[in-house]
Amino acid sequence: MLTAGLRGLFAAPLLCCGFRPFYLATALYAVLAMALWGVFFVRGWPLPPQMGGALAWHAHELIYGFAMASVAGFLLTAVPEFTASAPVQNRRLAVLFGLWLTARLTFTLAGVTGVWPAALLNLAFMVYLGWLIAPPVWRDRGRAHLSFVYALIALAALQAGYFVAAWRNEPVMPWLLAAVGVLMILIVLALSRISMRMVNAALDVRGAQAAYLARPPRRNLATFAIGLFTAIEFALPGNAVGGWLALAVAAALLNLLNDWHVGRALFSRWIFMLYSVYWLMALGYALIGLSLLGAGFAPSAGRHLLLVGALGLAVLAVMLVAGRTHSGRELDQRPWVLAAAGLVVAAALLRLLAGMSLVDVPAPRLWMLAALAWIGAFTLYAAYSWRLLTGPRPDAGSACEGPEVFTQPASQTLNARRMES
Amino acid sequence: MSLFRAWLSGIPAYLWSGWGAIASLFLLLAVWEGVSLAYGDLILPDPGSTFATLYRLLDSGAAWPELLVTAGRAMTGLALAMLAGSLLGFAAGMSMTAAMMARPLVTVLLGIPPIAWLVLAMLWFGASDGTPIFTVFIACFPVIFIGALAGTRTLDHHLKDMATVLRLPPRMKFFDLYLPHVVSYLFPAWINALGTSWKVVVMAELLSSADGIGAALAVSRSHLDMEATLAWIAAVVLTLLAVEYLLLEPIKREVERWREVQT
Repeated sequence: MLTAGLRGLFAAPLLCCGFRPFYLATALYAVLAMALWGVFFVRGWPLPPQMGGALAWHAHELIYGFAMASVAGFLLTAVPEFTASAPVQNRRLAVLFGLWLTARLTFTLAGVTGVWPAALLNLAFMVYLGWLIAPPVWRDRGRAHLSFVYALIALAALQAGYFVAAWRNEPVMPWLLAAVGVLMILIVLALSRISMRMVNAALDVRGAQAAYLARPPRRNLATFAIGLFTAIEFALPGNAVGGWLALAVAAALLNLLNDWHVGRALFSRWIFMLYSVYWLMALGYALIGLSLLGAGFAPSAGRHLLLVGALGLAVLAVMLVAGRTHSGRELDQRPWVLAAAGLVVAAALLRLLAGMSLVDVPAPRLWMLAALAWIGAFTLYAAYSWRLLTGPRPDAGSACEGPEVFTQPASQTLNARRMES
Repeated sequence: MSLFRAWLSGIPAYLWSGWGAIASLFLLLAVWEGVSLAYGDLILPDPGSTFATLYRLLDSGAAWPELLVTAGRAMTGLALAMLAGSLLGFAAGMSMTAAMMARPLVTVLLGIPPIAWLVLAMLWFGASDGTPIFTVFIACFPVIFIGALAGTRTLDHHLKDMATVLRLPPRMKFFDLYLPHVVSYLFPAWINALGTSWKVVVMAELLSSADGIGAALAVSRSHLDMEATLAWIAAVVLTLLAVEYLLLEPIKREVERWREVQT
């Protein structure tokens, strides 16, 4: 009876592809974690006592809770597609998602239960995720996507370092700042894969001559610079060496945009969203650099441009695109998409204003507005995607079958779009 | 006109690709900052205070006359070398015999270090402008000469024959056939010579002049003023970077575009 019930649960549409539970969790946890932080900060409601303090909770949960859920969703969907391997579904997906869920719970209660349950469950989630996605990536011919596995290993190692530091009562923030760097590299890696398809599809639709190519040398310069900055920031926190390196990262990211200047196709909503991610990331690193070189504001202003802006927008864009195309639907052309993306950017800019005290509004009010904009964006996503993520596919697909939308000849895509509108 | 428009629309992309160069330069500044951190301000002041000193020098107006004097000398020497080197190289390239004769002479010229020429120039010209100008000229001349020679020697004979058969007017022959080819060799040589001239002029001034960047370097060295020394070096390098990437590199791309089509 129980096993039959479980089997029925595992067969639910929600568990037919990795992005479904994890994208839903990403959106819901974005709302929940930010709302908790908001009431803690503005209303003074206490959070459960934390290892490393409330700030560490905020940073850890948005990096290893929110962002990590989206990374898991992305990897579980992209790896089967890139490597033509079987998707992770049903029971194994349920176990992985259960680990993520209990990891969140134990982390928030770590002040009560101690470091160990949280550490074990969080790391078990990372290891199991790696266990699920690494073999197909390794077996793939040419091993072209191995960098994702390396990034995952780096994130897991940094999280282990975080827990060791928390256990020894040492500062935990350096580990989280390093994880931010790895996430930025991961965004550059992921967007280069996604953008090749999307930008060229947009160019085809417009019948443009030019082709878009995400050139590896430029991308490698950017990821190398981010990695170097992250390592130096970890080894020499608050040092001017890191300041110059952060400026180098900003320049390398702007250099990456050279590939993107392909004419009017850039201004289609999907392309522009991905393009803005790089801009936000470049500006964020530039501000961190200036701050480390003594510009008179804290680096956290720039850091939030990276996390709220670049990470938030990248997560939203990938969820919007992959979440629909991998459940057998056309891209969403409705206006709420623009509203959600605009809210994320607004949240990033409001948080930036608060961090740099550029306007004559008290910082807590700006923090509050930024948090509300962030919550609004992901509430919109959760509301509009609930049925998409939890319901059955409208087509014959049974798992993650992919985005034929992009591989269709241009004329077909155009026709499909005309019919939709 | 459409060519001009195509060229104009290429400018933003070219300028934007400069971010890659800027990224590497920032990496260099990070290394500089790291070395300064490890060895202290006395050995190597950090980039921040160096640029602050440079800004002060420029802002107070103290640097401009020196920069102008140095630039004037370097450009005079370079212009003379470009003129003489290009014309003589072109002439030597016309004849196999002359080319054969010229090779060893150029090797001799290239083999004599600029510092040796400087000593000679100081004896010949004293502390006048002539010393740095001559040193720049003689250091740049062989580089340009070789470029012009190679450009002329490698002209495609089949193309020449074809031009004769088709009775191209001489003007067209020169501007559409010979010039683009020779310039594609000459231009890199000129850029090379520009870098040389800028370095040599500072060296010549350091040892022989009372004004110019080289002289300012000598003064800051005698005061053990590391920050001012580095500020002057930064001024030299930044000027060279600006001239090369904003002026010469775009022209070079334009001149060498026909090569891309071939490959």
